[in-house]
Amino acid sequence: MKKIFEIALGIVTSVGGFLEIGSITTAAQAGAEFSFQLIWAIVLGGLCVIFLVEQSGRLAAVSGHTIPDAIRERFGSNYFLFLLVVIGIVSLLVMAAEFGGVCVGLEMATGIGFQWWAIPVAFVIWLIIWKGTFGVIEKGVSLLGLVTLCFVVGAIAMRPPWSQIVHGVLPTLPVHDKAHYWFVAVSILGASISPYLFFFYSSGAIEDEWDESYVGVNRVIATGGMSFGSFISVAVLVLAAMLLLPQGIKVEHYSQLPLLLIPVFGKTGFWLFVASLGIACLGAALEITLEIAYLAAQGFGWNWSENQRPLDEARFSLVYTGTILLAMLVVLIGIDPLKLTVFSMALTAATLPVSIVPFLFVMNDKSYLRDYRNGWISNTVVLLIIGLAFVLSLVSIPLQIFGGS
Amino acid sequence: MDLFRDCLDKQLLDQNKQRMGRVDGIIIEWPSDGQPRVAYVEVGAITVIDRMHTMLRQALLPLLKRAGALTDRYRIAWGKIHVGINEVRADVDAKQTPALEFELWLRKKVIGRIPGA
Repeated sequence: MKKIFEIALGIVTSVGGFLEIGSITTAAQAGAEFSFQLIWAIVLGGLCVIFLVEQSGRLAAVSGHTIPDAIRERFGSNYFLFLLVVIGIVSLLVMAAEFGGVCVGLEMATGIGFQWWAIPVAFVIWLIIWKGTFGVIEKGVSLLGLVTLCFVVGAIAMRPPWSQIVHGVLPTLPVHDKAHYWFVAVSILGASISPYLFFFYSSGAIEDEWDESYVGVNRVIATGGMSFGSFISVAVLVLAAMLLLPQGIKVEHYSQLPLLLIPVFGKTGFWLFVASLGIACLGAALEITLEIAYLAAQGFGWNWSENQRPLDEARFSLVYTGTILLAMLVVLIGIDPLKLTVFSMALTAATLPVSIVPFLFVMNDKSYLRDYRNGWISNTVVLLIIGLAFVLSLVSIPLQIFGGS
Repeated sequence: MDLFRDCLDKQLLDQNKQRMGRVDGIIIEWPSDGQPRVAYVEVGAITVIDRMHTMLRQALLPLLKRAGALTDRYRIAWGKIHVGINEVRADVDAKQTPALEFELWLRKKVIGRIPGA
């Protein structure tokens, strides 16, 4: 009974915590410009992330090790430092984008410019991490994130053309703006297959004290949570295709995005969007901040746990405090959060091989996983994801240049 | 035992099972009149940097020294080391060693001064 409750809670929190600024923006851009044609990118990203998250959780449950732990141990300090720098920079940019998303949500709610919210938002994020426990962050904020289900309700209420949606699941070639089509596809994949997701998930499994008996629970949570989460992204795309595309609105500013919900819910739709954006971005900002601190602490062997007092893990606390300050500075400088989001998603895609290639080695290591090593299906999928990651890393920057605007 | 696989880069725990870093280096002594033997394991940022490519190391060292971000390397005699499965234990109290020097300084001078720490 306890396990069933944990599965339900795990799926609910995964769904609530799935949507963030990257997935909202890229899905809305895709729908507004290419109708239902890019649904396949969300589905593909969702499938990849299900496998990677399941493997991260399995490693943690069976071995008591996180992905960064295993990377440091199997690939040595030089590769770990390379990973730390690359993932650290990318995560910081994504974190700043999420941070900007919270500030934009507050700007929409109050009319006060987003930059003015940078310091209060930084303080709130820091205070939640400083005083909160892992459970508060994981479950509390993610449960609030269930407000993002309003996109699903809205999409169903719009009576979408289901046959076209099903057709969109299959990849098709673009008929116009080819470079931009592929750029948006790459950005969707970058937003979906974010390393912070599976790094954070494996740390969370340790925080929640998972053991070998959680292998099945992990599989159900990873599959259920990420599938339903992807479903919300598809709902955003469907709404954009049905509401923004006919009016010729391209997503160039966040102020256009409430139009996804206002036609369905009226004025309430505006507030639902503001709440969705604010809460989803706050949840993601908390997770990414912790992920950066987890990554450094685990790689260097420091004391770490969100459930301990900051005093007992001073270096861990210093890293997340510094991360929040840096992200705050990026927002204070006044960089457009939408441009930052699009850029950081493309950069995430460009750097995917660095974090995904180690999976193939770690998940086949008998000393960690014993009888729970990857089978041929998981290995084949990881190989395919690695192939995809290399393609994305090669094309994302050229596409950013030629199709980014 | 495969020193690289079973010991190097593993999580290092002290006698109280406290995390005290990772096994950043392994020192092997080779006396002129005898067999090589493992003498110490080493912990510290300098040891990690020593393992980098020479050019990168030469570029980074002065920067990190100037920033005060380098802690001294700390050696633990091999006799005090127990290599387990995916972790290494040392018969020392981490708080009494340079391995936690920066952590303890940070606790006392920075983090400990913030309300609610």
